[in-house]
Amino acid sequence: MVSAYWNRLSLGSRAILVLVPVLLVVGAVLTVAAALLLGPLLDFINANLPLGRFVLAATALIVITIPIAFLIIYMELKVIAAINLRVGPDRVGPFGALMSVVHGLKVLSKEDFTPLGVDVPIFTLAPIVVFASIPLTLLVIPFAPGLYGQDFNLALLYFFAIGGMSVVGLMMAGWASFNKYSLLGALRAAAQAISYELPLTLSVVGIIILAGTMSLNSIVHQQAGSLFDWNIWKQPLGFIIFFIAATAEANRTPLDMTEADQELVAGFATEYSGMRFGFFFFAEYVNVFVVSALSAVLFFGGWNAPFDWPFPVTVSLDPGGLGLGLIFLIALAPVVGTIILGLPFWLLSSRISTLRALVTGFVLFNLLIVAAFFGWAFVSAAWVSGLVWMMLKTFVFVFIFVQMRGTLPRVRVDQLMSFAWKWLLPASLLNIFVTATAVSILANR
Amino acid sequence: MTTPTRPSLDDPALTIALEHAGIFEPIPMARTERQQEFYTLGDGEMLLNMGPQHPSTHGVLRVVLKISGEQVVDLDPVLGYLHRGVEKIAENSDFHHIISQLDPLEYISSLFCEWSPVMSFEKLLDVQVPRRAEYIRVLTGELNRIASHMLFLGWYALDLGGITPILWSFAERDEIMEMLAAVTGAKLLFNYFRIGGVNGDLNHEFMSRLGDWMGRAGAQLEAGMGLLNENEIFVRRARGLGVLDRETALRMCTTGPNLRASGVPFDIRRAHPYSVYPELEFDIPTRNEGDSLARYLLRMDEVRQSLRIIDQCLHQMPDGPIMARLPRLLRPRPGRAYSAVEGPRGQYSCYAMSDGTDQPFRLRIHDPSFLHLQLVGLLMPGNLIADTMAIMASLDPVMGGVDK
Repeated sequence: MVSAYWNRLSLGSRAILVLVPVLLVVGAVLTVAAALLLGPLLDFINANLPLGRFVLAATALIVITIPIAFLIIYMELKVIAAINLRVGPDRVGPFGALMSVVHGLKVLSKEDFTPLGVDVPIFTLAPIVVFASIPLTLLVIPFAPGLYGQDFNLALLYFFAIGGMSVVGLMMAGWASFNKYSLLGALRAAAQAISYELPLTLSVVGIIILAGTMSLNSIVHQQAGSLFDWNIWKQPLGFIIFFIAATAEANRTPLDMTEADQELVAGFATEYSGMRFGFFFFAEYVNVFVVSALSAVLFFGGWNAPFDWPFPVTVSLDPGGLGLGLIFLIALAPVVGTIILGLPFWLLSSRISTLRALVTGFVLFNLLIVAAFFGWAFVSAAWVSGLVWMMLKTFVFVFIFVQMRGTLPRVRVDQLMSFAWKWLLPASLLNIFVTATAVSILANR
Repeated sequence: MTTPTRPSLDDPALTIALEHAGIFEPIPMARTERQQEFYTLGDGEMLLNMGPQHPSTHGVLRVVLKISGEQVVDLDPVLGYLHRGVEKIAENSDFHHIISQLDPLEYISSLFCEWSPVMSFEKLLDVQVPRRAEYIRVLTGELNRIASHMLFLGWYALDLGGITPILWSFAERDEIMEMLAAVTGAKLLFNYFRIGGVNGDLNHEFMSRLGDWMGRAGAQLEAGMGLLNENEIFVRRARGLGVLDRETALRMCTTGPNLRASGVPFDIRRAHPYSVYPELEFDIPTRNEGDSLARYLLRMDEVRQSLRIIDQCLHQMPDGPIMARLPRLLRPRPGRAYSAVEGPRGQYSCYAMSDGTDQPFRLRIHDPSFLHLQLVGLLMPGNLIADTMAIMASLDPVMGGVDK
């Protein structure tokens, strides 16, 4: 009798029948374990708070690279499509927004091919090395007040040191691929890294002189105030040099020598396929984000708002003090809100049924609540508004990178080198000289 | 389960296995002194195989580059991936069939591939082509020239790394192709010219599309060119690249825009006038620099002149028949005829021999792309890998015509 009943069930029902008791048992066991172990666990976390913070930050940073890369890939698809007079992706998701997710799935489902003759361990490790350096650089970037992985006095130096590590991965990929195009791409990457790391690092020395520290958090704090307190007004030349060198550092057009597809097929990634290729791809887009975030932090005030809020907002909402009002809010506000917001639809159009009007009202009410919540968070929590400003600034730079890819042709490799050594390097030295002179004169006056 | 251990690269067995798998390209047995010289590597040199499946070799050209670092020391183009033996096919098909066989030669400007053999057959047959047909030929031909130059602009920019110009120029090219499709019935291989005229008269769709397009063509083409002409990176890369001087250009039988960019004002439309070109007003743009930028700018000047010609054609278009009266089966008298037209890449010419049957005894096709491709051997050595494709793109060869 049991088996006849079982046979009549659909697959989902069987899964529910099996999973519910299993989950109940597991949950009970976990609850007991937590009750027994929570005290010691909390003690351990309290004792090792910096370590816990580091682990949490590292995990979070690795995880957020995924949505960031997806967002930038989608942005690139759409913006370049607009520049090219195309529509761009518009099939998957609203306005094609899930296109990059599909890209990711495609890359995952492809064959992970290892060609004959490659140096297998190095070939396998290279994408990991390239990708690993990116979340590590994200670790020092302050996204909002209190929202950063680590803050220490050598953050900027650490950033450049770790950022240079990805070149090692590119060299590994190029060398191990057993392909002449890969090798040429990797050697270009190495030459380009050496040429552009110098102006990149030297261009921010002016800021270090001004700030007196290499901690990114303090640099952002020193730019607090309005638009005119940002470092861009004090270091315009430094910013131009930094941005050009950062373009080369992120391997973006017009300075994407390493994977110039018209010359070197795909550069260092020629022999890669599947998710290993995906890692390179992924790292490139996250790198764009990292470089944009650093531009925003160093020159555009980081998470500081560009202007003070013109009128003071104080939201002093104490739920505990409401008493009976709280019950009203929780129990009646949704109902009243739904009816009030749905009423106009019901009244104004006879073609909308009562149920539909109610559903519309409910959706609108929820949207309103979400908007109100974010507005409240933006106004009252410093880290929310900081994060919003930081992301806005960062994505302005991401947009500029994407737009450059859409409009500019590629620079030749020797022009790239001569530009770095003949123009950027002297200009950054001049920038350091002028900044140092100005600072010493102003300090002695 | 144990995984098989991979042998190291020094292992001779692996070397043999790799050679067997085609990974180490075996150096071909030298047949000539030139091959011997090319495949002998000097200190620090290596061979790099580009194509036939490289992203930017314009069809299926294969070039073996001998490089030292990033610099190209020498190169060896390997042709023939698109060879169809079209001249032999022409010997075995009758005069009407040949036209459709010649279309795919230079598939980007196929009207010109039809034009010159059709003209030579007309000479063999002593046919007088109606004036309206000649005007239609010039009109459609110049449209095709613009389409070809638009494609050149896009590819050239793409080979230099710019991804937008090709889509902008394709918008214009596509409009032209739609127009030509309205009148010829096909978008790429038109098969439109006939011995003694053309296949169909201008129709309403063609005329309305052309009228629409002519109104905005000038401004839109200028906008597309402005994306490159005023781009510092593009100009710096193209200027002084692959300089072809006047004497070399003449010695290497260069024709068309590549010759005119080197300062020789030779244009078959003026030098050996054919069709109704003597009645039309247009200039022959020339430039003296002879570099890639000059070749690019010259083609863009030609686009402007073609617009002028189209405008005049529309104003002077006579009424009348579009086909001469001819028998269905053509048997020209035995003899020879030569004809040449100025195509977007240079001189397309055709030498037809007839033995009195309905098939030509021999049809020799002269294609400018083949001669221009020879120039890469002179222009490329000493440049960087990045510039090899840029130089080749600036010469604008089409592999269909090279391999025939």
